Amino acid sequence: MRILLIEDDKDLGSAVREHTMADGHAVDWAKDLSEARGYASVVSYELALLDIHLPDGNGIEYVREMSNRLPSTPVIIVSARDQISDRIEALNAGACDYLVKPFDLGELSARIRAVARRHGQFPEPIFSVGKLVIHSAERRLYRDGQEVHLTAREWAILNCLLCRPGTVVSKGKIEETLYSFGSEIESNTVEVYVSRLRKKIGAHLIETVRGMGYRLVVR
Amino acid sequence: MTRRLILLLGAATLVGWVSVAAIAAHRLRTVINRDADRLMEITALFSAPGYALLAKRNPEADALLRIPHPRSFEDYWTMRIQVLKADGEVLFYSMEVPPKPFPSAPLDEGFRDTATDRIYTTKILDDVFLQVAQPFSFRDQKVKSATVKVFVPILIFLPINIALSWIVIRRSLRPVEILRREIELRDGGNLSPMGSSGLPAELAPIAASVDRLLERLRTALNAEREFAENSAHELRTPIAASLAQMQRLLAEIPEGQAKTRARGIERSLSNLGHLVEKLRQLAQAESGIGIADHAIDLVQMVRLVIDDLGKKPQFAGPIILDVDDCPTLMRKVDVELFAILLRNLIENALTHGLRDATTTVSVRTDGTIAIANAGPVVPLPELKAITRRFRRGATSAVGSGLGLSIASTVIERIGGSLELASPARGREDGFEAIIRIPRVATTELGVGRIVRF
Repeated sequence: MRILLIEDDKDLGSAVREHTMADGHAVDWAKDLSEARGYASVVSYELALLDIHLPDGNGIEYVREMSNRLPSTPVIIVSARDQISDRIEALNAGACDYLVKPFDLGELSARIRAVARRHGQFPEPIFSVGKLVIHSAERRLYRDGQEVHLTAREWAILNCLLCRPGTVVSKGKIEETLYSFGSEIESNTVEVYVSRLRKKIGAHLIETVRGMGYRLVVR
Repeated sequence: MTRRLILLLGAATLVGWVSVAAIAAHRLRTVINRDADRLMEITALFSAPGYALLAKRNPEADALLRIPHPRSFEDYWTMRIQVLKADGEVLFYSMEVPPKPFPSAPLDEGFRDTATDRIYTTKILDDVFLQVAQPFSFRDQKVKSATVKVFVPILIFLPINIALSWIVIRRSLRPVEILRREIELRDGGNLSPMGSSGLPAELAPIAASVDRLLERLRTALNAEREFAENSAHELRTPIAASLAQMQRLLAEIPEGQAKTRARGIERSLSNLGHLVEKLRQLAQAESGIGIADHAIDLVQMVRLVIDDLGKKPQFAGPIILDVDDCPTLMRKVDVELFAILLRNLIENALTHGLRDATTTVSVRTDGTIAIANAGPVVPLPELKAITRRFRRGATSAVGSGLGLSIASTVIERIGGSLELASPARGREDGFEAIIRIPRVATTELGVGRIVRF
């Protein structure tokens, strides 16, 4: 998933970003709302993690803005404000979940998965096709009962395909997912990673739809 | 105040009227004495010519004659008349007994008083005098009779006057009663200004002063809440950052002594975050007002709190919400304090209950919310002390020892009651916290109560 993290605290932001990337998501980190608006204007995000107290505005106002402009992007509020009225206000504004600081990073991962799953942007916890069993929450993959290790980028691509099994995922979408890993994306980067993934899970499970993208075969 | 005012007013009226009556009685005595004297003079004046003529014709003592007495006038009847010579020989008399000169009444013209009578003497011939006597007892009786006539209406009218005063005072004090009730309501959680419109001019300044006080109180409470919020934010974010960084470090370093230490720091940071949360809740519970202007749906609040706690990875057991016969429960309580109350009780049940066991939250239409878990029975002495601050039961579970103390503080603010039972009702084990939130909060009458059994 491609996630927009909006957090002004550098220590917290960097830890959340690292942890979320380690979970296999691509993360863009904005330190304030204007930076977030800049990112959101050029990239389509599957989820946003948003603080309320930000240097240039109130996060809940931005939730309302996102609800109108980007209704498909679910928002999880991550805030130090623990009043129930704040939670109600955020949920009424359009946020999908509300996490109070300090929090366990494991809990953050679980909430991201739950929200993404509700919005069809995260695969089911356990997915099996043929001799392949994928535990997406734990990031474990078994082929013929043997565990297969994937890199973070390979997991990112597999998650993209697992979110909509059987549906075509565009090459551009996969590129977007890979962008935030920091490396340069060349014209054949997606093909290289898809090829590596095919070797690990079985070539027949990822089908190329010429001119459109790739899809996970579920038959 | 009304009774005291009526008593004071009644006493003052009574004293006033008695004083007036006493003065009137004194004045009556003077007037009656003066009139009686005039009557004696007139009697003597009109009788004198006749007696003088009789005395000239019968100058001898054997001519002693009892004169008839006119009986038409009571005043006149009380008078006694005698005509006597200068040497004391009585010529005529009107008394029933044989005549002799009035004692202590020398034959000088004018009024003289004896021990029992008032006597008027006038000369009707050169050596003949006419005396008219009237007893003081008659005059006293007249004064007494007149005084009674003055006092009786006063005694009759006094209770009527007190009753009328009571009605007037009650009516006059009605705005004070209204003002008192308004102030009492504000004390019950409503800090909105009362306004002085409709109040008498004497009470309007009091209402204005109370409004100013309410404004200061509202400002102080808002400042305190704002401070609590800001300080919580300022503390929570660095703790969150430290905890997150520590968890990232744990993910990166290999197993060993360093990782063990890092886990210890992670635990401490997690506990610190929990403690900051509890201290903030306690501060809010102590400074907050439990009763709100508007009713909120407590069932919705219960759902929200359960939804949040259900996502916490440290609480493994499921939470079951039982609201079968109570889809909504409207009560005028502060939403934040109620959420704090509920959160602490459910957290307590989850923390100290058996792992993976079910925690049940049931809501009933009578305003009862019960939170029960499965777990060891809490002994009675422990149960009695469990709501004290930093008092933890005999448990190995991690906790601040503040949860039930916060809950008991909140329930007092809300005006409900909190019962703690172990074993839980209908079970042989476990712990149950039962909140009762009445339709009308009892803080308007007193304070909430905490019962343990």
